[in-house]
Amino acid sequence: MTNGWVDMKNTDMMLIMGGNPAENHPCGFKWPVEAKRTRNAKMIVVDPRFTRTAAVADMFCQIRAGSDIAFLGGLIHYAIENNRIAKDYLVHYTNAGFIVEKDFKLPDVDGLFSGFDSEKQTYNRASWNYQGAGGKSPAPPEAKPGAPPPLPPLPGTVDFDPTLQNPNCVFQLLKKQYSRYTPEMVERITGIPKEQFLKAADLYTSVRKDGDMKKVSTIIYAVGWTHHSFGTQIIRTAAIVQLLLGNVGRAGGGVNALRGHSNIQGATDMAGLFDSLPGYLKVPTPADASFADWMKRITPTSSKPAAWDSFNYYSNTPKFAVSLLKALYGDAATKQNGWAFDYLPKVDRNYSWVQMWDDMYRGTLKGMLAFGMNGVAIGPNSKKNIDALKKADFLVVGEIYPNETSDFWRAPGTSTDEMKQIQTTVYNLPCAGFAEKDGSMTNSARWVLWKNTAVPTPGDARLDHAILAQIFLKVRELYKKEGGKFPDPILNLTWNYSYPSSPPLAEVLKEINGKALADLEDPATKQQIKAGQQVPGFAWLKDDGTTLCGNWIYSGAFTEAGNQSARRDPSDPSGMGVHPAWGWSWPANRRVLYNRASCDLDGKPWDPSRKQVWWSEATQKWVGNDVPDFKADSKPKDHMGPFIMNPEGVGRIFGPLAAFADGPFPEFYEPTESPIDNPLHPQQTHNPVVKRFKTPDDKYSTPKDGYTVVCTTYRMTEHYHYWTKNNPMNVQLIPEPFIEIPAELANDIGVHGGENIKVSSIRGEYIAKAMVTKRIKPMMIDGKKVYQIGFQIHQGFRGITEDEGKDARTLANTLTPTVFDPNAFTPEFKGFLVKVEKA
Amino acid sequence: MSQATLRVQKISGHAGTVPGEDTQREFTVCKLVDTTTCIGCKACEVACVEWNDMPFSQTTFDNTYQTMPDTRWNYWNLILFNEHEREDGTLQWLMRKHQCMHCAEPGCLEACPADGAIVQYTNGVVDFQQDHCIGCGYCVTGCPFNIPKFNSVTKRMYKCSLCTDRVSQGLEPACIKSCPTGCLHFGTKDDMKFLAEKRAKQLRDHYGFDNAGVYDPPGVGGTGVIYVLHDATKPELYGGLPSNPTIPLAVKFWKHPLKWLGNLALVGGLVGLFAHYLRFGPKAREESDLAPKEGD
Amino acid sequence: MSQQEQLIPHDHVLRYNFNERMNHWVAAGSFIYLMLTGLAFWSPWLFWIASALGGAELSRMLHPWVGLVFFVAVCYMYALWSSQMKHDPVDTEWWKSLPHYIRNEDDKMPPAGRYNAGQKLLFWSFFFGGIVLLATGLVLWFTESIPWAWRWVRYLSVVLHAGTALLMIGNLMIHVYMGVFAERGAFGSVIRGDVSLAFAKRYHPGWYQEIVRKSDRTK
Repeated sequence: MTNGWVDMKNTDMMLIMGGNPAENHPCGFKWPVEAKRTRNAKMIVVDPRFTRTAAVADMFCQIRAGSDIAFLGGLIHYAIENNRIAKDYLVHYTNAGFIVEKDFKLPDVDGLFSGFDSEKQTYNRASWNYQGAGGKSPAPPEAKPGAPPPLPPLPGTVDFDPTLQNPNCVFQLLKKQYSRYTPEMVERITGIPKEQFLKAADLYTSVRKDGDMKKVSTIIYAVGWTHHSFGTQIIRTAAIVQLLLGNVGRAGGGVNALRGHSNIQGATDMAGLFDSLPGYLKVPTPADASFADWMKRITPTSSKPAAWDSFNYYSNTPKFAVSLLKALYGDAATKQNGWAFDYLPKVDRNYSWVQMWDDMYRGTLKGMLAFGMNGVAIGPNSKKNIDALKKADFLVVGEIYPNETSDFWRAPGTSTDEMKQIQTTVYNLPCAGFAEKDGSMTNSARWVLWKNTAVPTPGDARLDHAILAQIFLKVRELYKKEGGKFPDPILNLTWNYSYPSSPPLAEVLKEINGKALADLEDPATKQQIKAGQQVPGFAWLKDDGTTLCGNWIYSGAFTEAGNQSARRDPSDPSGMGVHPAWGWSWPANRRVLYNRASCDLDGKPWDPSRKQVWWSEATQKWVGNDVPDFKADSKPKDHMGPFIMNPEGVGRIFGPLAAFADGPFPEFYEPTESPIDNPLHPQQTHNPVVKRFKTPDDKYSTPKDGYTVVCTTYRMTEHYHYWTKNNPMNVQLIPEPFIEIPAELANDIGVHGGENIKVSSIRGEYIAKAMVTKRIKPMMIDGKKVYQIGFQIHQGFRGITEDEGKDARTLANTLTPTVFDPNAFTPEFKGFLVKVEKA
Repeated sequence: MSQATLRVQKISGHAGTVPGEDTQREFTVCKLVDTTTCIGCKACEVACVEWNDMPFSQTTFDNTYQTMPDTRWNYWNLILFNEHEREDGTLQWLMRKHQCMHCAEPGCLEACPADGAIVQYTNGVVDFQQDHCIGCGYCVTGCPFNIPKFNSVTKRMYKCSLCTDRVSQGLEPACIKSCPTGCLHFGTKDDMKFLAEKRAKQLRDHYGFDNAGVYDPPGVGGTGVIYVLHDATKPELYGGLPSNPTIPLAVKFWKHPLKWLGNLALVGGLVGLFAHYLRFGPKAREESDLAPKEGD
Repeated sequence: MSQQEQLIPHDHVLRYNFNERMNHWVAAGSFIYLMLTGLAFWSPWLFWIASALGGAELSRMLHPWVGLVFFVAVCYMYALWSSQMKHDPVDTEWWKSLPHYIRNEDDKMPPAGRYNAGQKLLFWSFFFGGIVLLATGLVLWFTESIPWAWRWVRYLSVVLHAGTALLMIGNLMIHVYMGVFAERGAFGSVIRGDVSLAFAKRYHPGWYQEIVRKSDRTK
């Protein structure tokens, strides 16, 4: 989230799309409700189903799953056409006035941006750049044989048109790009009637009526947007809408991702993805020959109009990287050996979730440690995942209940003979539940919150991280004893915990926060810290090896003042939901990111009744109710951009160069399985860079095969993933799965509510009771009547009713396709094609 | 609030005076349920089952998100889900927390024959005392909201106690405590009425619900649970909330005119028969009276 | 008449055989229990009766089962006596002469058969009353099984159950008064089974004539 849960109470308008927070985030949903109650805020819900959230919304639009970009593109079109835009914000805080390279081409003719290589199914993104001169950026490294040609750098000085009239400026390109997204086109693609769309667009953009900047609107989304083969681009479109309306950085505004688990934000921050290191540092690749090479590649230089200033905070990347390597390898990381850069694994290709299971399926991945997640159930195409595990040598499952992954060998439909063929060795390790361990959790609002152990682990169960620590210690012992090809990274890994076999998590958080390895002094304030002391924040990190820090964005979470994430002072002096002493949020305990943008050019808040930060003439500093997300002493007249993490210093309406794999502007593409050809460009229906898998278990259906119903999957309030089917209270609330189908479809196939129906995709079938409802209506998509259905993912073949033999069934994800987003690698769980029959 | 709030002001099936009547300042508690911000998350259902340590129930999917068709003896708090299509074609998914309404004039208490099985405390809470309950089920007939439920093992009736154990210690009921969106409030009746009316006005003024209003039915003397409804003229849409609930006429007739008529008739009958004996005596005074008379 | 109204010594005649007497007392006993427990639930001022009978809970538990016993007895009564309880022209006359009956002027009454019109009324009131009590009693017993939409059935039942019981209690009071206090020999007839011929002749002249006719034939 750019903002935070509590901050939502400050909003005037909400667009909730690709998320069902009332269902999946009921506790956080109190803040949208609070905004309604205290500010008369309006809520627009756009969803394939009339959801629990829609039940309390002021307006609901039923959208076809996967057509979100068309809706949001239509919103951009509407805002521009009706001048519902934040002109000053747009010119000064976004790249709207930046001039783009002449060679850049929009996909308005053939559905492809410039530079598409149809053979490799990738873009050469060289033309996706600003026009400008010079630049401090180094020349691109030389191309390696076989590798794609390296991209040119961003120009140091960008050509700029403050009037936004230049036909090649970002704003004019944006206008042109979305001129095709007319209300009529929105209706054809999304199924939302034109009048209804116009009503929604008018309502949402009404905050910017006559250019008034006081009101704020927010966009709230969740995995309904990410679970697509173009998920990142949906969120991009939302970001553009918010930049266009001047809503980013402001209390009650922003683009807000609701994370699905209590600590999924923390997992991402701590490098839960294969392509990042802690704190979103980009992983080294085999092309990075040395630490210097790596730094050169991942440290950006500023790129901005000549008269402006850009903080370009990522210019500090080397400080974060050196401190990380010092945290990992301690004394073994020296300036001479490039801070032990060679120890770091080099990532040569995609190792994302879907790819990993594909590797196992094809026999290149031999074993798996599955802790705290039910891999077979949670990934797309469950059958492929089960087939993959059958080929593995070993599987270690650390869980609190037996689940579908630990018991993959007895999935429904597996005969005793087949079971005998399975040679995978499965180790089940009883682990700890959330209440049985301490540690911190990072919520959607980036708030790091410490928790204490409530109850001890039962029986032989052990803490998950203690198991991992013991595996590591054993492996290290073996390397010590037997040596190996390259034992150094293992032998030299820092492991200075008071209990090595079960590291206290507070010590881990201290390590993540970082400490000084020598006496340090801040040249400006003359503040000093001694060697061995915790650093107060990432501003203290050094690239000379005198600091260590496990994750720079968490620096400040555990300082000499103690564990900041354990603070529980509920006071909120400003009344804006900042609660500065409740836990601690990254970065630097800042609650709203880019909050400089909440002020006009002179540093005065757009809305004086919602003051977040402001320029204090008296102290010549940025001060505020929140921690300013800005260079504290940068005078407004210096025109430093508020988006300090971008080299441009401004918000990116146009995402240049390598930012995105599939286009600097979002373009609507149909889901991999779609009921129609793309009305924008039928010759290019799908996202051109999305690759399909080719194993026998990977099949993709089309309407021609009889798969004509659009299907989506989701989660219920009553259950938590695949766990709570082991808890009688939850089972009582929702005892068995059901499939929500429109009353008209039920009528067509002759089914009543509560009767079994069979939903099948080309990959498998799923049988459950039908819930016949008025909450999903048949839709007209490009002149075709299309039905949409959905069902929950929570049930499987292990659990209370499952084990009693009442309810065992295949997994919901048996139906979903193996295909993923080219930027974030998130699978497409939503908007695939199925058949629906009476079972 | 102190334990004193549990002083009794009404007792079922009771002959004689009531110990708590008018012994205390008036202090009525009330739950406010704002159906317009309820998301049907069922946290209140869980809190109720957990706080009261009730055993779990078997349930079956029945074409609805609703946990079960109706409350049960061990399930006192149920969100009712209703899909409603409005005249303008828009859909409403109405969710209402259904539980004992804690009527000021409780039909259950009126109908109950067992001394002390149902009491009303001075704070307005209507509470079943299972150790006095005889399981006759008359409260079922007396209740206009279909609340009391029978346990066939213990042969006693159960319903929401408004968490008297919590409320008497100054805590809010478990359901209120658990509500994530703040659609549930708890406080004095006056305060809750004020909040509810304010919210209803907001719905009328800013959200286009011209008929938004507060449900506090006068037919049962007002209730200890009040609702904010999008359309207060159609409470039936919310899972059959009666628009003008009263203690059923039959129960009133049975407990009042019929009772006095019946009592009168019984006593009158006894007196009449006694008088007859005094006046006329037995038909044959002696055995000889039975002898056939001459001329027969 | 199928009963064996054989004359027995000392100018007596058997009015009720063992089955009839037994059934009478089963019905009487159960009804009195039902009445007492029912009255306990009827008014808080009589709730003590339930305590005296072992507690309200026990009373509530037994009341429906005893009700079933009573109903079985009523059914048997129907099998035994319904054929004798048919209305005949004498009954009309009898009702017209009710004031005489009340004033103990039995000689001014039309000749009743084995049962006079009042007894017939009592029989039918217990028979139909028993059916109503059973039906409404079942509703009250299994009150939760009545769907909410049919709650009027419950409302009807509480009123009918109480009202019918009241009427039957009224009838019972008259019956007990007549049998114990007003008609000497009547009580004995449901204990020992026999009445004197004089009793028969005084209260049931029609029946007496028949007995005499029959005995003449058998002599």
